[in-house]
Amino acid sequence: MLYKVTKMKKLFLYIVLLVVFPFMISGQNNGNLVSNCVASTGPNTTYLKDYVIKLPKATSKTSIPVVKENFPLSKGTNYRFTICNSEGSAGQLIITIYERDQKVLSSFNEKTGKFYNSVDFACNKTGTYTFHFSFSNGDQGMGVGVVSFVR
Amino acid sequence: MMVRIILACSAVLVILSLSCNNGQKSQAQFLFPDADTFPLAEAEKLSAETLDDIVRNISSPVEIAALLQKMNVPFSADYLASTRDVDRLSSNFDKALKLGIYGADLGYLNMYERTGNSVEVLQSVKKLADGIMVGQYFDFETIKRLSVSKSNLDSLLYLSIQSFNQIDEYLRSNQRGHLSALMIAGAWIEAQYFATQVVKDYPDELLINRIGEQKTILNDILLLLAPFCKMSSDYTSLCNYMNQLREKYREVTITYTPGEPETIEVDGRLTVIQNEESKVEMTGQQLSEIIELTQTIRNNVIQSN
Repeated sequence: MLYKVTKMKKLFLYIVLLVVFPFMISGQNNGNLVSNCVASTGPNTTYLKDYVIKLPKATSKTSIPVVKENFPLSKGTNYRFTICNSEGSAGQLIITIYERDQKVLSSFNEKTGKFYNSVDFACNKTGTYTFHFSFSNGDQGMGVGVVSFVR
Repeated sequence: MMVRIILACSAVLVILSLSCNNGQKSQAQFLFPDADTFPLAEAEKLSAETLDDIVRNISSPVEIAALLQKMNVPFSADYLASTRDVDRLSSNFDKALKLGIYGADLGYLNMYERTGNSVEVLQSVKKLADGIMVGQYFDFETIKRLSVSKSNLDSLLYLSIQSFNQIDEYLRSNQRGHLSALMIAGAWIEAQYFATQVVKDYPDELLINRIGEQKTILNDILLLLAPFCKMSSDYTSLCNYMNQLREKYREVTITYTPGEPETIEVDGRLTVIQNEESKVEMTGQQLSEIIELTQTIRNNVIQSN
């Protein structure tokens, strides 16, 4: 009887570990991804916000998954947007920023096909801006976008 | 459910239509939506979750502190809220609002590297965070260690700001958006208090403009608070105060001049210079009234318990 209870307990523990452990690992990885990315923003920058982005592969070329986030930016401040990709991410994370309906900047240059991991933005207009996060070619991907300002 | 969806869609459409007014015009102006019409009146009927999609983040008070530093304004402990009565706070309303106030104070202290003085504020933040059951997101020990050792300002700022971001995220995603709204409103009120107190002695154009531009941010704060204004007399009183401030801002003019952004690449880093510009027009009288009312609101907030 005691043997059975012990065996049951072990089984329960295995199940808990199987269910919980991947989340623990994933949480730790997210934490490392964010802190490493924050560390790469460069000297004299102050962290404001991070966005951990995880998106599936696009189902068609016309419906590329996008995460949209609003953020207020102030005139006279130089912001820095830093992009980091998780190991194993098929796509490269891209940030495109809109103010109302107008595109302000993108970390991907469509003409040259170049990706930038860091974009500085000299803001001249206070307001709420919308950050669009997506992955290149609509591939599956995971990455982090860090917003900071240059002191 | 259907009514909520229709209201939510209407809110987004109205806000978008109010926003999209500067495309081809040579100049555009930021106007508050009419007080008695959409979106404020309708926003009260919307769910907190819906409003989260409209208004996400409020400017960090550390940006105001950084601006003060740039202007060579010396540090002053007189701007900080007293932490004396923190233990006596009993309602979640007071705790969340003051969490925002002390969060802004912490940002101010950290930016000025007065980290040795920040332990008292840190302890208050911890108590208030525990009080509304979000203490697990505030890494008190590490932040305290970094504060006392004065070893790494960047890490200290990162951990402090990230803790507040995580608290905000947690509250919003756990149907406690009313407390998140209070925390954000508290941080904004305190940052606005710093700016308006400093401008009395340092009437720098940059700071005056920053205060004027808060008209747009105040509009977001009001949208954020609107669904909760009738929740209790405390919320109603705060909303009334913020609406009074909104009235003081009504005649402040913000105009926008369009311009194409300039892009350059330096050492592999892309730099974008925005040439579209916002311009604030605010009279001395308007500024004085905003300073006075901000002081009244802030002092009322920190004394009410």
